[in-house]
Amino acid sequence: MKHIIWAASLLLSLPAVASENIAAVGSTTVLPVVSQAATAFHAMHPDVKVMVSGGGSGVGIAAMIQGTAQLGMASRETSPEEQAKLDGKVDNIIIASDAVAVVVSKAVYMSGIHALSLAQIADIYRGKVRNWKDLGGADARILVIDKEASRGTRHVFAKAVLGSSHARAAGASIISGSNNEEQSIVSRSNNAIGMLSNAWLNDAVRGVDVIVHGQAIAPTIEHVRDGTYPIARGLHVLLAKNASKNTRDFVQFLLSHDGQAIVQKVGYLPVH
Amino acid sequence: MMVRRLCKKWVIYPFIKHKVRHFLNPLKIFVALGCVSAVLSVLVLLGFLIQSSLPFWQAFGIQVLWGDAWYPYESLFGFLPAIVGTVWALLIAMIIALPCGLAAAIVSSEMMSETWRNLVRVGMEILAGIPSVVYGLIGLWLLLPFLQHSLDLLTGHNLLAAGMILSLMILPTIMVMSQDALQAISEEQRESAMNLGVDWQQRLFRVLLPQAWPGIRSGILLALGRALGETMAVMLVVGSMDRLPEPFYNILEPAQTLTSRIGREMGEASFGSLHFSALMGCGLILAVMAMGLSLLAQHRSLIR
Amino acid sequence: MKWFLMLLALPAFLFPLASLVYILSHAWDSLSWSLIFGAEESSSMIEAGQGLWPQIIGSLWLMLWACILSLPVAISLALFHALYASRRQQRGLMMILQLLQGIPPIVYGLCGLIVLVHLLHWGISLAAGGVILAVIVLPLLTSNMIHALERIPMEQTESAKALGLSPVQIIGRVWLPLVWSGVLTGILLAMARALSETAPILFTATVFSGVDWPDSMLSPVTSLQTHIFYLAQEGSDAHAVGVAWASAAILLMLILCFSLLALVLRRLEEKV
Repeated sequence: MKHIIWAASLLLSLPAVASENIAAVGSTTVLPVVSQAATAFHAMHPDVKVMVSGGGSGVGIAAMIQGTAQLGMASRETSPEEQAKLDGKVDNIIIASDAVAVVVSKAVYMSGIHALSLAQIADIYRGKVRNWKDLGGADARILVIDKEASRGTRHVFAKAVLGSSHARAAGASIISGSNNEEQSIVSRSNNAIGMLSNAWLNDAVRGVDVIVHGQAIAPTIEHVRDGTYPIARGLHVLLAKNASKNTRDFVQFLLSHDGQAIVQKVGYLPVH
Repeated sequence: MMVRRLCKKWVIYPFIKHKVRHFLNPLKIFVALGCVSAVLSVLVLLGFLIQSSLPFWQAFGIQVLWGDAWYPYESLFGFLPAIVGTVWALLIAMIIALPCGLAAAIVSSEMMSETWRNLVRVGMEILAGIPSVVYGLIGLWLLLPFLQHSLDLLTGHNLLAAGMILSLMILPTIMVMSQDALQAISEEQRESAMNLGVDWQQRLFRVLLPQAWPGIRSGILLALGRALGETMAVMLVVGSMDRLPEPFYNILEPAQTLTSRIGREMGEASFGSLHFSALMGCGLILAVMAMGLSLLAQHRSLIR
Repeated sequence: MKWFLMLLALPAFLFPLASLVYILSHAWDSLSWSLIFGAEESSSMIEAGQGLWPQIIGSLWLMLWACILSLPVAISLALFHALYASRRQQRGLMMILQLLQGIPPIVYGLCGLIVLVHLLHWGISLAAGGVILAVIVLPLLTSNMIHALERIPMEQTESAKALGLSPVQIIGRVWLPLVWSGVLTGILLAMARALSETAPILFTATVFSGVDWPDSMLSPVTSLQTHIFYLAQEGSDAHAVGVAWASAAILLMLILCFSLLALVLRRLEEKV
């Protein structure tokens, strides 16, 4: 009996290692950078673990307000209400910039849709245009992919295209969550349009140019850098003012040369 | 010492029956502690569910149940699209799973040898244990592309897909429960039916099925309860579009269910906000519906 | 008629079997030891290449805590049912257990989120997940134990009482040898159940990545269930999807171990 108790207590007592856990929560756009940086940081500081999870910018900001995470990730500015709750408690640090690309399925791109104006995109999302034919493409209904209201990408996109960050999209036909989920819906369809960070573009998911003042501008890092692409944004991490030294070190690492190399590798524009 | 005496008087005494009063009987203390902690934990959990959805009900009243606009950022909380979606998903699941499951139960219970019957049963019990997220994976990667191509849809995410996945999940429940009910019919009753000279088909519909009906009915209600609360699989395939199907029988467009809404929006709603409390409201509706189904399933004499 | 029924029943036998085969065949390509123990370098944007070991550990920890926490409570409820409850109390207890079993797991997850994560400030943690899963498996475990105790022949208990044995002695010497296999079956089924729940731990216990061994009860974990969920949405990354299938196969095998063992035990018991 004694042996059993002893073995059980051994099994149950979790080894207490003197290490620190940093929970990073939020935008799935920022997630790849922080996640890869976390692995690199852990290699340098074995006693620090950065635990990364997604959920969206709104989730990250909510977690900082509630104090359930040490690091928030957001792919948009904080709203005034959020700012009021966060005020004085959190530093908002931009670690990279990217473009919110207007993406279409490969088939749509091949059928001749290479560029859309902001007004055309707005018409699609408001439900005024429902067929690719009206925009010069093939005769097919448009699969309009909207995002969950909490997603930073949606805020930025809706603000640039529809005028306000929480504008309704009456033309939407499906709601997606993370960037990965949206990417998979676009690549599986032949008629989809959606919004994605430029790092998620690939052969099956093509970014169309956005027409500004008669000029078609591709969603590339270069156009984010020179400021011509209209739907660009900063990628933020939120750091509590009373954060631990290791958490600060990790943010410093994100801003360092090595951290910014990861930013570049993922496909975003470094801050320097 | 004082504390111990108080404990004896107020915590342990009332629990001990007057006949056997062993003071501080360890067995009784153990049992009492267990019962109290079970009751407490369940009450606390469900109590807080009600408590935290209260601000929402106070602010909007019961009419949210038939409001059709859900825009949390505009403080519009209409539950109707999700409720309609849930009901559709359940209905589709039942339409597929009930005939199949019942037929499978009849085949395995009335037409198979004992060895095969046991084998099928073990298989079904194992299938009932497959986690829902795995069904979601199958739905996402097998069912959605299939639906999209075969029905030439804009997207495979829709209520039909959710219903089909759910039907796969509740099939074992319906089958096992129906099989149990059929097997429970005694040999005498079977034989007396044989002696009446009715053929196999008549025996099935006049004797066996009516006899087994209460058991089958609880099986159906249990399965409905399971389908109602299923989250992961539904969330992955339903499309999460908060809009009433148009027209109302259009099950080939993305829609929303109560569970998928909770799953999608739980993370973003900050604790204490109206949105959070609205989602708790969704949870409360789910709990009430599920408890209703469970009570119906237990109330055997209700329909006969 | 018979043929019609057979035809109708065919999908019920075929489809579940087919999906099982489908999972295993897809998982076969990506299952390997290095996948589990994680030797390979991360290749995708999301780190799917770290190995599944942490997820397996996390799932098992959650399962273990759920059983450890609910076992004593279940035993005491079953003993209350067998020793002290009146007829009416017994019926009431069974009814409540069925009622609780009918409540969807996600509802328990929500309750846990409010009470444990927010009000008690446990945060997203192993402890919160363990308690929630314990409450979820409690009705199942308790009713299994009650049924095991009910199968004890009355005469045995009566004769033990006539011999003047105390309740504790009756339980230890007479009941335990008779019911241990039934109790074990119940525990195994509860374990399988705890392993298969996903929704209630998604917001209360798990993060996406960064944990390989939970340092304390208040540290979050990763789990196979939620890992499958995250990876399922990885549309265009073939590697990640392969890992999702492999995780599903591993999870299934774990669950099958427990439920098959339970079935074997039950068979043995029925034969005795």
